[in-house]
Amino acid sequence: MPLAMAAARLTARSDADLIQASKRGDLSRFEEIYAAHAGRMKSIAFHLLADRADAEDAVQEAFLKIYRAAGAIQFDSGLAPWIYRILLNCCYDACRKRRRQAGSPLPDEPPAIANNVPLQVAIRHALARIHPQYRMVFWLFEVEGFRHSEVAAILEIPEGTSKKWLFEAKRELKRLLTESRA
Amino acid sequence: MTFDCKDLERALAVPELLPDAREHAKVCDACRRELWLWSEMSAAAPGLREEWETSDLWPRIRQTLAAQQKAAKPRGLGGRFGWRGDWRMMAGIAAVLAIAVSVLIVRYSQPAPVPAAPQDSDFLTEQTLKEVERTEAAYRASIDKLTRLVQPKLNASENPVAIAAREKLLVLDSEIASVRSTVSHNRFNAQLQADLAELYRDKQDTLKEILQRAQ
Repeated sequence: MPLAMAAARLTARSDADLIQASKRGDLSRFEEIYAAHAGRMKSIAFHLLADRADAEDAVQEAFLKIYRAAGAIQFDSGLAPWIYRILLNCCYDACRKRRRQAGSPLPDEPPAIANNVPLQVAIRHALARIHPQYRMVFWLFEVEGFRHSEVAAILEIPEGTSKKWLFEAKRELKRLLTESRA
Repeated sequence: MTFDCKDLERALAVPELLPDAREHAKVCDACRRELWLWSEMSAAAPGLREEWETSDLWPRIRQTLAAQQKAAKPRGLGGRFGWRGDWRMMAGIAAVLAIAVSVLIVRYSQPAPVPAAPQDSDFLTEQTLKEVERTEAAYRASIDKLTRLVQPKLNASENPVAIAAREKLLVLDSEIASVRSTVSHNRFNAQLQADLAELYRDKQDTLKEILQRAQ
């Protein structure tokens, strides 16, 4: 059996063990899931919500949902994609709630990128100007380090689409960065 | 293959063409800049990750989950029959049991059993139930009073303990609503009444604890 396949099966089994133990009320095993994913989850939530407190609330909500829904999980694609899918839904809910609140206008059009900022800052600004789907794939793949197969499982898209959207994201970013630096 | 500037875009999409693109970039400044930017985006991206410590996030989650577990956990004999519940509620349940036992003793100890008038039997059970419901209403009113006292303090605070307490109260309220709804369809079920009493006791304890912390 190829090593990668064996490792994937092992991960799936330990994920299943963790979830089963959590379902039996073993919160220390559930804490292992938290310890493994909370950092990355906070980063993703912050990217979507642009506020640390809101990001933490979204992560908390996601963990409560994960715990409640633990019995229903299918381990075909592992625990991680399922966890991050729940997180993204929590973040989208938070965004919708924010928009519904009175006196909370839609975010302004992101400002144009200044031509003398460091590349990282320029990328952050440019990211705000590209298509949200491309942006999400770029963020998961390039920033958070997920593989295309994982990005595809999280976003429930084919792996080829993940690759295509990443290319589109980088092409858009390159265009914006080149314009700003011209 | 003869690589041209116009092939660069395609090369970025198809990694197999990248060596040709790099070769071309050695003699083309514009393509070299484009290629550099393309790889620099990937190199700079991980630096965009936002990381910070949150020592109270897991305790918050754990506390909420523990409260939910407690609220959802099936109660043991003590909880089920209200040993730890309010004494008035226990008295009501004890009365129901005593009446049931008395009826059985009377029925089976007499050689020629005198059939009890069904209206009387129903009336006694109904009367006991009304007592239980009256007690529950009084208990609920006292907890509501306590809630009114505590809630403003709780809402004003944003510390992790207050947040966790708010969530616990939400869970308990939802459980209470659910059990009350079940009770309304099955008023004579002593076990459900005892479960409800246990939930009220949990809520009362939580409110008292918050009040003590605030003082």
